[in-house]
Amino acid sequence: MTRSSLENIELFVQTIAQTALDNEKYFTELDGVVGDGDLGISLASGFGAILEQWDTLDHNSGESFLVGCAKIISRNIGGTSGSLWRAAFRHAGKSISGKETLTSGDVVTMFRSAADGIMDRGGANLGDKTLLDALVPAVDAFEKSIQNGVNTQQAIDTAAKTAREQTEVSKAWVAKRGRASYTGDRSKDTYDAGAVAIATMAENVATAWTKS
Amino acid sequence: MKKFVNDPKQFVPEMLKGIALANPGKVKYVSDYNLIMRADAPNDDKVSIIQGSGSGHEPAHVMVVGKGMLDGACPGDVFSAPPIDYVIESSKLLNSAKGVLHIVNNYTGDRAAFRDAAEELEDDGITVKTIFVDDDVAVKDSLYTVGRRGVAGNFFVIKAVGAAAEKGASLDELVILGNRVNDVIRSMGMALSGCTPPAKGKPIFTLADDEVEMGVGIHGEPGRARQKLTSANEIVDQMLEAILTDRKPISETETADPIFSAGDEVALMINGLGGAPISELYLLYGYAHEQLEAKGVKVWRSYVGEYCTSLEMAGMSITLCKVDDELKSLLLAPAEIPIRVF
Repeated sequence: MTRSSLENIELFVQTIAQTALDNEKYFTELDGVVGDGDLGISLASGFGAILEQWDTLDHNSGESFLVGCAKIISRNIGGTSGSLWRAAFRHAGKSISGKETLTSGDVVTMFRSAADGIMDRGGANLGDKTLLDALVPAVDAFEKSIQNGVNTQQAIDTAAKTAREQTEVSKAWVAKRGRASYTGDRSKDTYDAGAVAIATMAENVATAWTKS
Repeated sequence: MKKFVNDPKQFVPEMLKGIALANPGKVKYVSDYNLIMRADAPNDDKVSIIQGSGSGHEPAHVMVVGKGMLDGACPGDVFSAPPIDYVIESSKLLNSAKGVLHIVNNYTGDRAAFRDAAEELEDDGITVKTIFVDDDVAVKDSLYTVGRRGVAGNFFVIKAVGAAAEKGASLDELVILGNRVNDVIRSMGMALSGCTPPAKGKPIFTLADDEVEMGVGIHGEPGRARQKLTSANEIVDQMLEAILTDRKPISETETADPIFSAGDEVALMINGLGGAPISELYLLYGYAHEQLEAKGVKVWRSYVGEYCTSLEMAGMSITLCKVDDELKSLLLAPAEIPIRVF
């Protein structure tokens, strides 16, 4: 069955939202090691609100849907992480303004815009041990797969695998941004909870894509 | 730590209620958004100026709302940025035909809330511009910032743009002015003690009897060094040295030249952080004034007292603001705000 681009976006958002709800405790525990221990609660609260308000969101276009999600996130996740996730959704939505059917190139641009939005708000760069260290390599892998002519499912699978691998790689690093950075060397050999969240979300998107 | 508190969650709303009741006809309190606003705002002949930050810095910023200063302040909880909703709804309530100006101290959370709000306000057709204040010389980056922090020097930005706005300056003119003032203010703070947010119940840091935190931020974030307590004069010397020799980073690799030199005229502020007696602030002022004059820097005007605090922290900050004729007239223009009505 072929889904429209909007339906694909909806499937994607629904899957990552459910992931956030299902892993509230796990993400919070991870974040508690060196962060301030609110990541799981924050994500569950923001994405839970998206699922609750699903029917009242504007589903007319990918843009309006994603910008609407951004608005819900900003009202339900406090502090900096609310701003980062909001920026990801808003930038992603704005990047596909006026487009009904997305090419794979548009999808790459959409995810790059999301990552840029996070960088812009958080001031983090690659290597700072944040969720970007899972997200950006995953987008790179997705783009490369598409360029190599593989199908969407394979590209998503590769992206998810890359996100997980890079999360493992970044585990050894010292956090340079976010609350975890205050602990300095203690952040070594602990997972960045945001990166784990991205990897888990990507894996669940890959699974959801297969099923549907 | 003993405090005057009922329910820690209601600490900020109860304070705001007090400000409104103490100033009938002058300010209004909109409890849904922690907003204290001028009773006569918005005025379509004047840009509306809003500052938001965490609470705990009073009189900044809810007590500097009034004629010639802010049109509104919408603080978050103690030491927390305001939620985006507060900023958006406050800006809508205060929207003027001449636009809305946000003044924001350069802390990550405040920056994010105001930038996010500005995007949504623009979607709604409201013209918003923002000035980010980053006058602190103590550290290049802190726990809560990307780049330098905004501290007590924000008073000079608010006072100058507030005065210019009363005279009918446009939004663009105010942005240029505010950035110009931000470029000529430098501050440094230090603490003899930590402070206790009501909801937290314990001090955010503790210092030994003979220790001070030099270069502290207004939420108690660490500064340059934790060091041994020295005499008041030695503390002033160290802080003035840091301010006078400061080279502000202007890119990853470049720094600006120090901005104060012999022959300059400055406003000198000794700002109490909440727990330093006025007597000590004047003691510090006297020595700082003499030292500046000895270096050929003329002190044009004094500001001694509490402008931007950290709850009950025993500490102080020094701010220098280089003045010219335009800035002098703006700083001398009348202002009428809750803490300055006698």
